[in-house]
Amino acid sequence: MKINKLILQSLVLAVLFISCNDNEVLFNGEGASYKNGILISGEGSSAGTGSVSFISNDFSVQANQIFKTINNEELGTYLQSIAFDDENAYISVDNAATITVVDRYTFEEKGKIITGLDHPRYMTVVDGIGYSTNWGSTGSETDDYIAVIDLSTFEVTSTIPVGNGPERIIEKDGNLYVSHQGAFTTNNIVSVINIDTESIVEITVNDNPDEIFFDNAGDLIVLSAGNVVADYSNWPEVTILSQTPGSIARINTASNTITSELTFAEGDHPKLLVENDNNFYYSVGNKIYKIAANSAELSDTPILEVESIYSMAIKNNKLFSVNASYSKLSKLSVFDLSTKEETNTFNVALAASKIYFN
Amino acid sequence: MKNILVIVFCCLAGLGVQAQKDSIVHTLEEVILVVDKNNKENSVGLKKISLKDSVIENNRESFTSLIRFTAPIYLREYGSGGTSSARFRGTSSSNTAVIWNGININSINNGQTGFNSLSVNLIDAIDIRSGGGSIKYGSGAIGGTIHLNTNLTFKKHFKNQIISSVGSYDTYQSLFKTSYGNSKFALKAGLSYNQSDNNYPLLGTNFKNTNAAYDNLNWNISSAFKISDFSNLKFYISKYKANRLFSGELPNPTTAREKYRDFNQRNLLVFENNSNQFSHIIKAAYLTQEYNYFSDKNIATYDFGKSATWLFNYDFSYNFNKNTKIDSYTEYTSINGWTNKINTRNRTQFSQAIIFSQKLEKLFSYNLKIRQDFNSDYEVPFVMAIGAEIPLNNKLTVRLNASKNYRVPSYNDLYWPGQGNPDLFPETSKQGEIGLNYTTSTTKIDFSYFYIRSKDKIVWSPNGDPDRPGVWMPNNIAETQNSGIELRITKHYTLGYHTFNFNGNYSYTLAKDKITNQILIFVPKHIANFNLGYSHKKWSAFYQFLFNGQLYTSEDNISSNAMPSYDISNIGVDYQLLKTKKQNLSFGVKINNIYNEIYQISPRRPMPNRNFNIHINYKF
Repeated sequence: MKINKLILQSLVLAVLFISCNDNEVLFNGEGASYKNGILISGEGSSAGTGSVSFISNDFSVQANQIFKTINNEELGTYLQSIAFDDENAYISVDNAATITVVDRYTFEEKGKIITGLDHPRYMTVVDGIGYSTNWGSTGSETDDYIAVIDLSTFEVTSTIPVGNGPERIIEKDGNLYVSHQGAFTTNNIVSVINIDTESIVEITVNDNPDEIFFDNAGDLIVLSAGNVVADYSNWPEVTILSQTPGSIARINTASNTITSELTFAEGDHPKLLVENDNNFYYSVGNKIYKIAANSAELSDTPILEVESIYSMAIKNNKLFSVNASYSKLSKLSVFDLSTKEETNTFNVALAASKIYFN
Repeated sequence: MKNILVIVFCCLAGLGVQAQKDSIVHTLEEVILVVDKNNKENSVGLKKISLKDSVIENNRESFTSLIRFTAPIYLREYGSGGTSSARFRGTSSSNTAVIWNGININSINNGQTGFNSLSVNLIDAIDIRSGGGSIKYGSGAIGGTIHLNTNLTFKKHFKNQIISSVGSYDTYQSLFKTSYGNSKFALKAGLSYNQSDNNYPLLGTNFKNTNAAYDNLNWNISSAFKISDFSNLKFYISKYKANRLFSGELPNPTTAREKYRDFNQRNLLVFENNSNQFSHIIKAAYLTQEYNYFSDKNIATYDFGKSATWLFNYDFSYNFNKNTKIDSYTEYTSINGWTNKINTRNRTQFSQAIIFSQKLEKLFSYNLKIRQDFNSDYEVPFVMAIGAEIPLNNKLTVRLNASKNYRVPSYNDLYWPGQGNPDLFPETSKQGEIGLNYTTSTTKIDFSYFYIRSKDKIVWSPNGDPDRPGVWMPNNIAETQNSGIELRITKHYTLGYHTFNFNGNYSYTLAKDKITNQILIFVPKHIANFNLGYSHKKWSAFYQFLFNGQLYTSEDNISSNAMPSYDISNIGVDYQLLKTKKQNLSFGVKINNIYNEIYQISPRRPMPNRNFNIHINYKF
């Protein structure tokens, strides 16, 4: 083993090789703690595994690939999202049909769920049970489901069949709320699943609903991107066959009805929506807009324009956005929301796609 | 265990000292007909490796492993048997052109050749030529060209061959070849079938390679008719059909469900007329390529792509005298390509190349080549090349070549629905090479230094269109600079009944993105391989070795995403059970990855463990 390498090296005519291009500050080993900081998950690509980066809240410490560093193992592609409970982080990796369970502060692996999942997307934890949205097979629109996971054994115990393309999942008062972004095609519903009875109510919203959360008023807020159906087969000639608008819908969870709705102009397809201090921040293209949570209309003036935005989060008057790269580390930018100035940048996970505060 | 290598290298050192005895000159008076006839003289100044049938027979598993163990070329493979592509000298996989009987067969859809979707079992000879070749072979001949040739012979003969093998992971291979000929007629036919479950254990894990089975069926018929002493007519037909499953990757390979089907057919008709001074070659070819991609093998729906190419070529050459020749190469191609997402697009191209070759007796030989294309989709640059060989003495020759080459955007680059960029134009590259060749009857050493500068390289990125952020689009943006050296040593040594053969390659490649100054991804700096063959009476054996250096997978060259280096070795032994003038029956065993090395070529896809293969080879 060693000998032939030595021989080869001496045979090799040319040149030593030097690789010192890493800007990573390593923060690892015994007693590493990823508490009080920001976790950025990256999907991964052919250039590297899905991974998680850490940045301390005071920005003094940064580490990339913390899961691989601690566990000497790769998460695979494509890392879709991370769910948390008090103790653990649950990392859903879509193509690998895996949820990897780690201690949320040390990132030491505790277990792995590899059976019973098929394109897992998002998960939420309710009373020691995980609910994971699964797209099922890429070729089928009728095999989508919620996997019910016993988090004491890390096993899928049952499944709840749902409509096509379940995406985000959150819980309130014994009900699961699931946005159906539509997986490989399109959909326009939010499912409300009663955990006890597994009965499902479907609320129709605009096409391709993705981001959902409960606002301070307790209403369910749903961002739908809208949809464009076009014939691209003579590209670059495009024939738009139909176009539906994006919207921010407010749903009363007692009646499961839309009480108000902000509809985007034709051609504007919003991607991201976060709530902070009773304000909504949303993105359309590279522009970020802000409106009051109870605003009756959308904004015309962006508060920020960035190079490219794949994910956004806000905390302590700072806006974090990522410009995802699939061929190298992505760029995380931090903006001061008062001055709108970019105050910090970091090279974070390959194909960075989600930002969490740990 | 690996001390064997020390012995091997000691042998080599010994060979170096003791070499140079008598020469072995094979003089076989037969007329071998090749379509790509002027390849040799057009390759003046270029580095060429010719793979003999015995080498091809020793590496029947796949085209990928054949090239990997015999040439200084990096093959990126998504797990054993998966999608595979080749890169010469740090260039991209669409910069390698595969030439079947003189015709470029790279896919219209993605500009590449899949090295696991091509069977080489029925190919008579493979030539590997490093360096630019666009003048004769068109798009993609930047890093180098790989030539698959069928040889027909006007000579009275009737030969048959059967090879059948069984290997680990339920791998079965069989082929039948027959060749018949007389002074006026030649016929060759072959049939090959390979199949494997390919479910090797993923070393270091509890998994097996899942969803990785493949099977492929290939048949060829070629024939030549002598019309007169000056004219002949040849045709070549090859059909290939393959089913492949695409394996999964760690941490959970069990989820894999992708399936892929290939159907290729190639038909070529060639008329040739030679007189003392003039030669005319007229070719007509019809080629189709089709793929079906199933994202889930359990579901009947699939994506497909198909292309159909008509090619007409007129090659006229005139010999001013024995040593001076001018060659005109006129080609018209019409390609229709479509997929389930792209309506039929037609591309026509007219090309004219002129090649002037001259040999100044004993001093040196050179050629000058120019080519202009007229393409219906975009402007193709005027390209040219020069090559020269200067003998310093009867053993040493200096090789020089310089060329400008191109690769055109593929159909996917141009027309991919919602993402293709119709404003793309061809990538171009300029390159130069200086080589030194030392040849004796038993030894061949070739050393070269190369430099390749490419610009306007087509790169897909998620922000390719500033108006549509997040949408992946290709643009002519990258500039690269590759330089390096290659060394090849071939040695043949006989001592009584003992015969040794050695072929070794080493390459050092420094390929950089000129804009970011980072090292290009999936380009190992070091590649070394060798084959050592030994035969004694009825026994023969070979040892194959490959070292593949570390490489980066991400453009910022971070080491946590680097693929570590690996080295693997294979060994094989053959015994001739029967040898008569008309019959030859041998039995052999091959062990791949003898040291059970854990290695990966693509991230999270461990390659096969130690595995076995037994075969019989019957010639009659």
